[in-house]
Amino acid sequence: MTKITRRSVVKGGMAAAAALAAPLAAPSVVLGQAKPGAAKSVRAVMHGDVSAYDPIWTTANMSAYHGGMVYDTLFGVDDKSVPQPQMVSKYGLSDDKLTWTFELRDGLKWHDGTAVTSADIVPSLRRWAARDGAGQHLFERVKDLSAKDDKTFVMSLREPYGLVLDALAKTSTPVNFMMRKKEAETDPMQKIDQVVGSGPFKLNMDETKPGTQYVYDRNPDYVPRSEAPSGIAGGKVVKLDRVTFVTMSDPQTAVAALQAGEIDFYEVPLIDQLPQLEGDRNIKIQVLNQLGQVGWIRLNFLHPPFNHPKARQAMLHIVKQADHMKVTFSDPKYYKTCGSLFTCGSPMENDANSDWFKGGQNFAKAKQLFAEAGYKGEPILLMQATNIAYMSNSAQVLAQEMRQAGLNVQVAPMDWANVIQRRSNKAAPDQGGWNIFITSAGGPAVGNPIALAGHAATGERGWFGWPTDAKHEELRNKWAAAPDLDARKAVAREMQQNAWDFVPHLYFGQWVQPAAYRSNLRGLIPVPEIIPWWNVERV
Amino acid sequence: MIGYILRRLLSMIPVMTVVAITVFLMLHLAPGDPAAMMAGDNATSDTIDAIRRKLGLDEPLWKQFGIWVWHLLQGDLGQSLFWTQSVASLIGQRAEPTISLALTTITFAVIIAVTMGVAAAANAGSYIDRFVMGFAVLGFSLPVFVVGYLLIFLFAIELKWLPVQGYTPIAEGFVPWARNLVLPSVALGMAYVALIARITRASMLDVLAEDYVRTARAKGVAPIKELLKHALKNAAVPIATVIGIGVALLIGGVVITETVFNIPGIGRLVVDAIQRRDYPIIQGVIILFSAIYVLVNLAVDLSYTLFDPRIRY
Repeated sequence: MTKITRRSVVKGGMAAAAALAAPLAAPSVVLGQAKPGAAKSVRAVMHGDVSAYDPIWTTANMSAYHGGMVYDTLFGVDDKSVPQPQMVSKYGLSDDKLTWTFELRDGLKWHDGTAVTSADIVPSLRRWAARDGAGQHLFERVKDLSAKDDKTFVMSLREPYGLVLDALAKTSTPVNFMMRKKEAETDPMQKIDQVVGSGPFKLNMDETKPGTQYVYDRNPDYVPRSEAPSGIAGGKVVKLDRVTFVTMSDPQTAVAALQAGEIDFYEVPLIDQLPQLEGDRNIKIQVLNQLGQVGWIRLNFLHPPFNHPKARQAMLHIVKQADHMKVTFSDPKYYKTCGSLFTCGSPMENDANSDWFKGGQNFAKAKQLFAEAGYKGEPILLMQATNIAYMSNSAQVLAQEMRQAGLNVQVAPMDWANVIQRRSNKAAPDQGGWNIFITSAGGPAVGNPIALAGHAATGERGWFGWPTDAKHEELRNKWAAAPDLDARKAVAREMQQNAWDFVPHLYFGQWVQPAAYRSNLRGLIPVPEIIPWWNVERV
Repeated sequence: MIGYILRRLLSMIPVMTVVAITVFLMLHLAPGDPAAMMAGDNATSDTIDAIRRKLGLDEPLWKQFGIWVWHLLQGDLGQSLFWTQSVASLIGQRAEPTISLALTTITFAVIIAVTMGVAAAANAGSYIDRFVMGFAVLGFSLPVFVVGYLLIFLFAIELKWLPVQGYTPIAEGFVPWARNLVLPSVALGMAYVALIARITRASMLDVLAEDYVRTARAKGVAPIKELLKHALKNAAVPIATVIGIGVALLIGGVVITETVFNIPGIGRLVVDAIQRRDYPIIQGVIILFSAIYVLVNLAVDLSYTLFDPRIRY
């Protein structure tokens, strides 16, 4: 038997420690690389983690943020939400309004140095259209899409369609980012992990650590447009050498790090942290996305009581948006109530058929409508995502409101991951299904009847809750075919008139999220749903 | 001794098997769908179903378990569902911060706690003893995140002596590495200090009441030698045991500490993975932590032979 003595253990321990310390003490590869100076780099904490590099495959906003750094779009909306050419130089529509011709601008290069050609654009558009609601709507009308030469591609339509440029320029996810042919030909249901874009930044894979930090270096080969930046349109002039997205899940730590100057930008400080930041002269607070978020209450059309329109109408009289907003967002300068089917502040906002909103909360009316719907006290299952503050708070307020209206509501607390699994279950609530869940969507998307899957009323083919209404779908198509903004506004009014009768869903308010950043940052461009890092500099 | 070690290592096989089965079943039977998390909020059911099929998550549970175990037996912890990296490489990337935090915490905690425990026992009933016991109650009662925020406020925001968050690899310099670890180690070590200090005190009081200590004292042995050589060495077995048991406490605390101080370690890796339901990462990390825990306990058992010559395996 080998005897283990104290002396041998100490010697072994020292040897092990030396072995462990050796690689740690060795010069690292990281040290050997030239890092940009602090004056030319920014560390930003965004609202989450870039959990997938493919912004077409997922609708997650963080992937769109990543996409905005490394990819470019054919068109982009300016600060007035008007589509402007970005990768495209010239474009035109035939007299019969059935053929669009686009020409790519000079100087476009992928990050691998090869030129961007129409052969890349065509499969990129097809892949995006397979995954995006607006893209699907457009491509149902596309007869042919083909490359005419290296710089020109042509889209032929079956019928005139007024939203071609809007679809190509939109900022709601999935954004229409262009990819190399090689990646663009990937199955739309298959995630792309190769990050080769043609955008103003390149992902630095060597220094990126998934889940921790994503390092974007300036793309020296990027040729910006000559126009001034506006929205995500115009010249994307990069003034920083590096932008690092730092993943930081704890808001308290992020605010402390911002105050200490360890990070430069924090996208989502909690509203109750703002007074602490407002008193700090080194910090600036700004709302970058003026249309903000719209809170949704989604009702399940497949099961009682919400398979009956009267029950859904009754819900309009139950929800008092101000109460939902106060409980989470406290300061009225960051929230508002809204009776429009379309985001308040968006061009489509209107007041058709919104007497229920003007009349305010009315439990007596709600009780009467539920009685007419044949409701007899059956349990109504409300899913509460407890790990997301606004969803959790709003679910509690809604439950109380519904109880005051005499409804037998059962709150089912769970985490968000559980909600998004359960909401796809079409079974009855007592067999794993549900009646109500709470979520939110970006203001620009809610202001557009086509861009957001949740605006469709196509039944079980559609988004969770599965509302069905043929007239609503007719009006969505009519809206898409409308020739100009005024015509679209008129159709949006019709749509809302119909919608607040069949009630596809309801809202619990609209809010904006102020971002906080070091006051020596300049040039942040307010854009809905994406945060551009071009034009930003440190002074 | 070698035979004992081999037997203990062999006994890890059933333990790890039970851990593997439990972890796999708990994760896969619990609600949550990685495909839905990946697809994003605007995705429809059809899209989510298609992604689920691509990931093989629509396969029967026994088949998914079989594939995972087969890879595990070959030393392959699998591939993250979200990132194009193997679980082993993700753990490898995150290992240094966690090992650094754990080692500095244990070192700090053992030195402080044993000193406090010995001082309290040597001065039983005095103000020193009461202070140590009061500190122990406080340290054990305060959650890690509360201590963390208080330390950040005082030493990083107000005094600006130390950074709020983050981690600097030791390869970039010892001082920046240490500066980043001071606050998290203290926050994480508080409960550990409390636990070890109490056990040290209790164990030392027992030993100090033994006849041979009184004899040593009567023979004129210096008080410091009496405490450290005669008493502490003989009181060390329960202390070593509680240090080993405390590793579980440390593992749990690392998860929270890494979140509060934004340290890119294995703790944060697993928290993020749980929120996304990235099954291979969660499974891999739990298997790793379980193995570490079993091995630490084996090391603690073996350490008894160093403190007590009567113990032989």
